[in-house]
Amino acid sequence: MAVKAQEALGKRPLHVLEKIRENLEKLNEKMEVMIELQKHDRKDVSLPITDAPLDVMTLLSMPDHLRKTAMALCRLGRATADEIAQQTTRARAVESAYLNQLVIMGHLKKERKGRKAYFCVEKEYKG
Amino acid sequence: MTSVGKIVVVHSYKGGTGKTLLSVNLAATFVKRGRKVCLLDLDFRAPSLATLLNVTKSNYWLNDYLNGACEIDKVLVDLTDRIHNGGKLFVALANLATEAIRDMSAKDRKWEMRALGRLLALRNSLLNEKGFDYLVMDTSPGLQYSSINAIVSADLVIVATTSDRSDVDGTKRMLHELYDLFEKKTEIVLNKVLNASSSMRREAIQTNVKDIYQAPLLGLIPCFCDVLKAEGNIIFVEEKPEHPFTKIMGEIASEIDHL
Repeated sequence: MAVKAQEALGKRPLHVLEKIRENLEKLNEKMEVMIELQKHDRKDVSLPITDAPLDVMTLLSMPDHLRKTAMALCRLGRATADEIAQQTTRARAVESAYLNQLVIMGHLKKERKGRKAYFCVEKEYKG
Repeated sequence: MTSVGKIVVVHSYKGGTGKTLLSVNLAATFVKRGRKVCLLDLDFRAPSLATLLNVTKSNYWLNDYLNGACEIDKVLVDLTDRIHNGGKLFVALANLATEAIRDMSAKDRKWEMRALGRLLALRNSLLNEKGFDYLVMDTSPGLQYSSINAIVSADLVIVATTSDRSDVDGTKRMLHELYDLFEKKTEIVLNKVLNASSSMRREAIQTNVKDIYQAPLLGLIPCFCDVLKAEGNIIFVEEKPEHPFTKIMGEIASEIDHL
């Protein structure tokens, strides 16, 4: 019993650190979104726009830097910022910012699975 | 996700530039060389491969695959017997029925987005899983949704063009405002070239084309009366193996192999 209690105590700090890290990541993402919103002078928008399909005409009208990210995601269907960065050979942080911007614009959906954030065009999309 | 096969899309600014002739004969040339090829008709507004290849009845069409009504296996029609001593030829056809054409031209942006996803998925299902060497896609001219979807999924875009002024101008714009934006490898095929018999004249045309488009020239096809006389009733490269057109298609296929 005493050994078990000690083990539990030993794991506790690790668990707490893990939680802190998770929260920091969430906070970081929220800040990225706020920065993107500020950049586009859309302080009034608190919720992402919905239903802005990522079709080819939309892709064509996008600025080059976002098109590159969006096309990589079209090819993969569902991916993390890391996986997109591997395709575009740009930094993960850059892709993370662009992906979050595409979420704000309503072109992508974002979902969390454990510590990872996945971006997708939509659930039915094959890619 | 790595595939050995290639997706080749044949596109043009204007109609009547020879996209379908190029697509069918390029696919047939690859098959004659022992390759496994799938020829797809993405010209949903004016389907032509079904008539041209005389397959007017089918349980499933490419339209159904893009609609999410079936998987691609159901759409593929085996036409391997059309090419003597070759590899394998499959086709995925666009539905000829007027109702189907109307239905395809009334799709919304969300549908087009899903259609792009299903087209991109062919790389995995046909090239990776079924071992196709080439997917050759025939498209509608100009900036149509189905054509741009095909371009986005392509490894190589072949742009069929003629010397017609409006065609030249439109093709130039598409090169810079469409293919370049999607970072696509693009090659020009100049079709219906007049007086192309002397090598000096051919060289002059080649230099001229490269100057105008600032893009590589994949092939130069003279205006052949024999091709017109065939009226789309035969697979030209199969029926006329010694014809100069067949030789040019062979050279184009070799170039694509090495790209």
